[in-house]
Amino acid sequence: MSEDKTDKNQEIIGFACSFCTFKASEMAGSLRMKYPDGVRLVQVPCSSRVDPAFVIKSILEGADGAFVAGCHPGDCHFIKGNYFTRRKIAALKEMFDAFSMKDKLRLFWVSAAEARRFVEKVTGMYNEIKEKKNAGKTN
Amino acid sequence: MKTGIFICHCGHNIKHTVDVKKLSTYFKMFPSVTVSEDYPFVCSEPGQDMIKDSIEKHGLDRVIIASCTPSLHQELFKDLLKKSDLNPFLLRRVGIREHCSWVGDDVDKNTEKAIRLIKAGLYSSSHYVPLEEKRVDVTKSALIIGGGVSGLSAAVFLSKMGMQVYLVEKEAELGGHTRNLKNIWPIGEDGTLIIEEMEKELQGRENVEIFTSTTISSFEGSFGNYEAVLLTRAGEKRIVAGGVIVAIGFSPFDPQIKPELAYGIDKRIITTMDFERSIDALSLPENPRIAILHCVGSRDEQIGKPYCSRVCCINALRVADTVKEKYKDSYVESFYMDVRAHPRGGEEFFEDTQEKGVLFTRSNIAEIIPGSKGVLVRGEDTLFNELFEREFDLVVLSIGMSPPEDNRLISSLLKITLDKDKFFLEAHVKLRPYDTAVKGIFIAGACSGPKDIEESINHGRASATKLYGFLNLGYAFVEPFIAFVDMKRCSGCRMCEKACVAKAIKFDETKRLVHVEEAACMGCGLCNATCPSSAIGLRGYLDNVIDDEISALVEAV
Ligand code: SF4
Ligand code: SF4
Repeated sequence: MSEDKTDKNQEIIGFACSFCTFKASEMAGSLRMKYPDGVRLVQVPCSSRVDPAFVIKSILEGADGAFVAGCHPGDCHFIKGNYFTRRKIAALKEMFDAFSMKDKLRLFWVSAAEARRFVEKVTGMYNEIKEKKNAGKTN
Repeated sequence: MKTGIFICHCGHNIKHTVDVKKLSTYFKMFPSVTVSEDYPFVCSEPGQDMIKDSIEKHGLDRVIIASCTPSLHQELFKDLLKKSDLNPFLLRRVGIREHCSWVGDDVDKNTEKAIRLIKAGLYSSSHYVPLEEKRVDVTKSALIIGGGVSGLSAAVFLSKMGMQVYLVEKEAELGGHTRNLKNIWPIGEDGTLIIEEMEKELQGRENVEIFTSTTISSFEGSFGNYEAVLLTRAGEKRIVAGGVIVAIGFSPFDPQIKPELAYGIDKRIITTMDFERSIDALSLPENPRIAILHCVGSRDEQIGKPYCSRVCCINALRVADTVKEKYKDSYVESFYMDVRAHPRGGEEFFEDTQEKGVLFTRSNIAEIIPGSKGVLVRGEDTLFNELFEREFDLVVLSIGMSPPEDNRLISSLLKITLDKDKFFLEAHVKLRPYDTAVKGIFIAGACSGPKDIEESINHGRASATKLYGFLNLGYAFVEPFIAFVDMKRCSGCRMCEKACVAKAIKFDETKRLVHVEEAACMGCGLCNATCPSSAIGLRGYLDNVIDDEISALVEAV
C-alpha cells in the first residue's frame, strides 16, 4: 500500500530540448520502450531556455526530481546554448546541495538518436530517487 | 476562454492503454472547456471535419489535440485552424501516444498521466496569443557537400531547374567510390561512365560552380540564407546558399580492424574493392581456389557495426560470378551468414551463381592464416556444427560500408544529428526521410546509411526535389518563435546582449534599452532565461506558459 502510494506520487519533470532529447523521447515511444509513467516532459526549444526558476518551481510544487536535457556539448543547434545550460545547472546544483537535495536535479546529454540512452537516464534517475524516498520512510 | 479538446484513439494505438472516454468526460468539468470529445482518428477527414465544425459552431478560441507526438501532423492541424479562421498558433498538441500510451502498459497510470499532459496543455495554452508566421526571403541556391553519385544527381536536377548550385568535393576529382567500380551489377555498367555522364550534364552550365579539393571551414546563418566558407586550393571563398544537401557518402570498412583476417599482410587476401581494381592483374593458377567472405564489417556487434551493409552480398556474388566466368574449373566457396540479395533480380542472380558451381557454406570464420602454399581459412560450419580448415589461392573479403570519415565534422558544423551507427539521421524515418532536423538541410546517399548506387541516385534526386520546393518561390515562412522585449520592464542591464550567441540583441544608447533584431534571432530562449527583470520573452515559450505547464504536471490530483 505504502509502496503503491510512493510509486504513484513519484513525479519527475524533465525539460527536454526540441532538437535532441525530445526527439529521442519520441523515438523511444515509437520503439515502444518502457519507462516510468511519473516521468513527464516539458518541451523547450533549447536547454538554454530553462530558467533555473523552472527547476526550483517544479521541486517546490511537489516534483520529486527535475532534469534538464539537451544535445551533447558541441552539438547545440543554437551553437553554444548547452554550454550556458551546463554553467547554470552547475551553479544550481550547488544550491540544491546546500539543501541536501542534490539528487533531485540532473543534467543529461541525450542526442536525437539516443532513445535507449534517454530511457536509461530517466529510469535510472527515477529509481534512485524512489529508493532514497523509500529508505527515508522506513528509517 | 473557449477551449476545444479533441482526444484521439489512434485506432488501437492510444485507446489500448489509455481510457480515452474517461479523459473526454473528465475535461468536460472545466469551465474553460467548451468541447471535449474523443474520436477514433482525429487526423482522418471526418475527424478533421468534426474539429472544424466544432470550432465554427462554438466559436472556440483554443484547440487542444491530444494525439500523436506534436511534431507529427503539425502542418495538417495548423491548416485546419486556418481553414476555420482561427490563428494556427492557438493550437496546442499534446503527445499522448509517443509519450504516454506507447510508454507504459498500465491503463490506470497512463490515463492519469494523459490527464496531466492534457491539463498542462490546457493551462499553458490559455496564455497563447495569435502569432504571424514570419516571411523570410530565401536565396535560390544550393550547397551540395559531396560530389559522389548522389551529390552529382542532386546537382544535375537542381541546375536543370535553374537553381544556382555550389558543389563541394574534398577529393581532386568528382565521382566518389562509383568512379572506381568497373562492373556495376546488374548489367555491368562502368562506374566511370555513369560519373562522366553526370559531369557532362553539368558542364557549361552557368549556374553550377564545382569546387574540388575543397573543404568547408565554417557554416553559419539560417534557413534560406546559410553562409559557408569554402577552403579551396586557391584560398577561401564565401558563398550564400538557401539550403544544403549533405551527400558525403561512406567509407569502405577497413578489414585491418579485424586482425584475425590478416588483411594487409598478405597480398592473397584482398577486398571486393581491391578485386574490382586489380582483377586483370591477379596472378592466379589455372584452376584457382577462391574463398569469398560475406559480412566483413557488417552485422558484427563486436566491432560496433550491427547493421547490414546491403550491397556486400551482391558484391560477393558478383566476384564469385566473375571468377566462374573466367575460370570454368575454379573452386569458389562463399562463406556467408545469410545471403541478403535484396535488390531486384538479386535472388535470381544468387541462384545463377549456385548453378555455376559456387559453393555456399553457412559459417562463422575464426581466422585466416597465410601459409607458404596457400591461405588457410578456418571456421565453423554452422549448419553441420563442424569445424573446418581449407586452403585457398585467394581470399576476397566482401567489405561493408562504414560511416563517412567526415561525419562528425559535418555534423557539428551543420548541427545535424548522427544515428547510433554514426550515419546521418533523418528527421523521421518514414515521414521525412530526406530532411534533417534543421530546416533546409537535407541528406542524400550512403551517408545516411548503406545504399547501393541506384538508391543513392534516387535519394539525391529526391532531396534535390524537396530542396527545390523549399526555395523555389524565393521566400518562405518560418515559425515566429523568436524573442521580443517588454520595454516597460527592461532595465538596460544588457545581460541578454552578452548572452545572445546570434548577436540579435542590440542596445539603444539613447533609450538605454535593448531590442531584438527579428531576422537574426534563432529562437533559443537563452535571453529569456537570462534576463533578471523578465523583460525579454520568447514567443511560444513564455515564462507563464512554461510555469503553468509545470504546475499542471506536478499538481496533486
Ligand atoms: S532567443 Fe536566442 S537568438 Fe533570439 S535574441 Fe534571445 S538569445 Fe538571442
Ligand atoms: S537582460 Fe532584460 S533587463 Fe537586461 S537589457 Fe536584456 S531585456 Fe533589458
